[in-house]
Amino acid sequence: MIELVDVSRTVTSGAGPLTILHPTSFRIESGQTVAITGPSGSGKSTLLGLLAGLDSPSTGRVVIDGVNITALGEEGLAKLRGEKIGIVFQFFHLIPSLTALENVLVPMELAGLADARSRAAALLHDVGLTGRGHHYPSQLSGGEQQRVAIARALANDPPILLADEPTGNLDSGTGHQVVDLLLSVNRTQGRTLVLVTHDRELAAMADEVIALRDGRVESRTARG
Amino acid sequence: MMFVLRMAWREIRSSWTRLVFFFLCVAVGVAAIVAVRSVIQEVREALTREARVLVGADMVVQSGRPWTPEVVARLDDALQRDGVVERLEVIETATMAASRTGQVKLVELRAVSPGFPYYGAPTLGSGQPFSADLLRDRGAIVQPELLVQIGAAVGDTVSLAGQPFTIRDTVVTDRVQGRGGFALGPRVYISVDDLRTTTILQFGSRATYQWFLRVEDRVLGSLTQDLRRGFRRDLVTVRSWRTVEDRLGRNLTRAENYLSLVGFAMVVLGGIGVWSVTRVFIQQKLKSVAVLKCVGATSRQILATYVLQIVGLSVAGGVCGVGMAAGAIALIPASVVALVGVESIGVTWSAAGQGLAVGALVSMLFALVPLLEVREVKPLLLLRADTSSSARKRGWQSVLTAMGIGLALMGVAVWQADALAPGVYVSLGLAVVAGALALAGAVLVRLVRPLAGSRVFAVRHAVVSLGRPGNQTRVILTAVGLGCFFILGVRALQTNLLAEFSLELGQDAPDLVLIDIQRDQVEGVRAAVAPYQRAAPSLLPLLRGRVVSVDGARVQLRTAEDVRQEGELAREYGLTFREGLADNERLVAGEFWTGRSDDPDAPLEVSIEQEIRDEHRIDLGDRIRFDIAGRVVEARVTNVRKVAWDQAQNGGFIFVFRPGPAIERAPHSVVGFLQLNHTPDARGLVQRDLVRAFPNVSVIDVSTVLDSVREVVENATVAITIVGSVTVAGGLLILVGAVAMTKFQRLYDAAIYRTLGASTKRLAAMVAIEYGLLGVLAGGLGALGALGLSWAVATRLFEIEWRPDWVGLGGGVVVAALVVAVVGLASSLDVIVRKPLGTLRGV
Repeated sequence: MIELVDVSRTVTSGAGPLTILHPTSFRIESGQTVAITGPSGSGKSTLLGLLAGLDSPSTGRVVIDGVNITALGEEGLAKLRGEKIGIVFQFFHLIPSLTALENVLVPMELAGLADARSRAAALLHDVGLTGRGHHYPSQLSGGEQQRVAIARALANDPPILLADEPTGNLDSGTGHQVVDLLLSVNRTQGRTLVLVTHDRELAAMADEVIALRDGRVESRTARG
Repeated sequence: MMFVLRMAWREIRSSWTRLVFFFLCVAVGVAAIVAVRSVIQEVREALTREARVLVGADMVVQSGRPWTPEVVARLDDALQRDGVVERLEVIETATMAASRTGQVKLVELRAVSPGFPYYGAPTLGSGQPFSADLLRDRGAIVQPELLVQIGAAVGDTVSLAGQPFTIRDTVVTDRVQGRGGFALGPRVYISVDDLRTTTILQFGSRATYQWFLRVEDRVLGSLTQDLRRGFRRDLVTVRSWRTVEDRLGRNLTRAENYLSLVGFAMVVLGGIGVWSVTRVFIQQKLKSVAVLKCVGATSRQILATYVLQIVGLSVAGGVCGVGMAAGAIALIPASVVALVGVESIGVTWSAAGQGLAVGALVSMLFALVPLLEVREVKPLLLLRADTSSSARKRGWQSVLTAMGIGLALMGVAVWQADALAPGVYVSLGLAVVAGALALAGAVLVRLVRPLAGSRVFAVRHAVVSLGRPGNQTRVILTAVGLGCFFILGVRALQTNLLAEFSLELGQDAPDLVLIDIQRDQVEGVRAAVAPYQRAAPSLLPLLRGRVVSVDGARVQLRTAEDVRQEGELAREYGLTFREGLADNERLVAGEFWTGRSDDPDAPLEVSIEQEIRDEHRIDLGDRIRFDIAGRVVEARVTNVRKVAWDQAQNGGFIFVFRPGPAIERAPHSVVGFLQLNHTPDARGLVQRDLVRAFPNVSVIDVSTVLDSVREVVENATVAITIVGSVTVAGGLLILVGAVAMTKFQRLYDAAIYRTLGASTKRLAAMVAIEYGLLGVLAGGLGALGALGLSWAVATRLFEIEWRPDWVGLGGGVVVAALVVAVVGLASSLDVIVRKPLGTLRGV
């Protein structure tokens, strides 16, 4: 379960302090699929960064499975992400110097999993990239890179999957494939999935849609 | 740990092309260190050998008085220590030698014990080795000129103080230096045992009693100090090959210091290259680091991954560097190797070990600064690109780390320079120049800001580039500025040292010294040498005397015994009188007299050398009484001079009197310094003519002594030139690489400009202006630093006259600007001409 209590984020810009996320509180139950939507600059990515422990809130706290992650240091957050959170980025962010298989291997190696290599191969198979494990990111198409990123996010079997505009950098066909993959993984394996997206169609597939505007929650819509 | 190992391996495997320059930097740096060290070690050994030969032992303990049983007992006690291998006795004195035909000549007698000398045995005319056996039973070995002067031959008998000795051989070259000062005549070797059977030492004649010691290197320094301290009041002096207190010794030390300094400069140059590569490398890895943090890697694991890569590459680069050094040394022509005074030069094990260790250590230290940035990388960077810079923290940890790295570098500096002073000078210079460069970067960006409104596109954008986020201003200024500082500094010092050396080997050095010219022979001698001289001979009156009392403001030495307590002051001095300062003298205090003093009753005036004032507290207005050949004269100190001993080819004097009837009446002879013209037989003919016309005059061929000095100085000159050139070439290579590395930062910008329609010419002009401007500033600041470094090292460490090398430094700035602009342009060529899409896609 993810819980936000009065979480806000203010940054200092040239013109003075700028609040990009006003105090916000909500809760996401385990196994839910939640879409966070809103126009550019509405605070979607900031919210996702706070959920992932990639950024610290200016006020309030983020609690994941009962752990106040706001109180954790960088090392503690890294450990938490390694164990509990998988992240998929709009720009994939694969490590260019590693092959597809190695990119998937990294989180498992960090966690010290014994059968990492076979599991990584199986994950690549699951995302439809059998036989492409030895390719470097630069040798893969955008859709393929995103599928590697999904496999990497799933590597340690995390209970929470966060995705930042996972289809934002893909054509619609490839985007659909990636969305199907994410949703199927979520449904079959019972993970919590938080999606940041502009895509109304994608948002409509979620259990709940949180719409942001100007750093505030504009609406929360649960699917009936 | 397994993760760290695996990641390090994967990174190297895929990024090796980008790390090739790192590898090369370490390799070139280590190669230069190993090559320079190897040359230094070989040359140092050659110089040490040379210095030992000149002393004839590791250490000589000597006194102007016979050893008293009490002093001998204390000396025995002091020498009963580990590391003192053996010793032998030598006594030097002057005596008269007479041939059977009655011709008489003053000679320098050197009485030696079996085993003399420990180093550099004299070569004999017969070709047989020098041996004490030849001296047994009243044997003598003499310099050939004595045979000519007294009309004797090998096998004849020569009488020394009335005792007959058989001339067994002649000594052709003898490099063991005598007791100092002027040799009064040709040298004659006899045995100490035989000397004691004569009455020579009983005449109260001036003799020097010496112990030649063979001592292990490790105790040489401490033993020298202990003996000097323990026997100061007994008029015992101690000299060793390491503390040869003449100009040769100073030159050896200077050459060594220079070579050590260059060794360190090379290390830092390599370090700058390493810093530049690592910085670019880490900049390119920021996203990967953020991704790793995102998937659960700790900062420590990531740091360890990159540190491991750096260590691996440093070691591999180091090994390659040792190979390069071996190859480079093998390419040095044999003729040049011979010039250095050694038979062959190869990579020594210790140089290789040192190169590898320093390479790894310095790579690590320099790489650590950019590597530590890994800790500050926030994974949020993956969501917002502007996170990395704003997230940087400069906490106490960073300050401590920087201080630790600085101290470690200082440690390496002192280790490499093998001495505290050069290491400290260079480290301080490094810090000052680095600070000035950082400041200059900020000032430059502000100063050129108005140009951002220029109508010329290339100028406008070049200026904007200097100040844009992620600009290369600081990097290029630091790398090129520090590089110039070291390269130009090394060159400036090389120029200064070589100028000093050439001065010492200068044309005004005399070839012959004429001793014992009587006053009434002066004009005759002038006439006799005229056909052979290159310049009119310099003729100086020479008196010998001792200080017997001092009545001064700060010091009162009422009796000769009081003077003896002052140690060195009690020795016999060579004295002279003249009307003006010599070329190598400078007035420090008081006023030098003008002309002679004609008043026979006027108090005598004396000029003292600065050392007398500093060491013995004698100052202006003090009265000194001298015993000159039995006559006591009193003189008032009216001025203090500083003598540049390095340039004392024509003699240097501690005490100089004002000419006048009183001093001129004192018994003295005249000494002449003669430079020969270049006619083939001048040397032989002038000696023959002088001996015939003035049999009492001794002609000492100092060119043989000077040749020893010249040989050492020339060896050092060649070594300095080789080592300096290696450094400049290696440094230049590293700078080229460091500048070239900055191109990776420009790829994206160039692609954007390209996409927006910038022509190749415009892009090239932008790059040339930006890099050229940085080159001029970095070169200028580096040159200023080099000027300061060469001043500090020349005046403080080498104690030589500082000659600013304006042409070299100015040329350095121009070359720096050109190199930076050309390299910047050349390395950006692919950026400028390549298709932009690949870059924009991040391929």
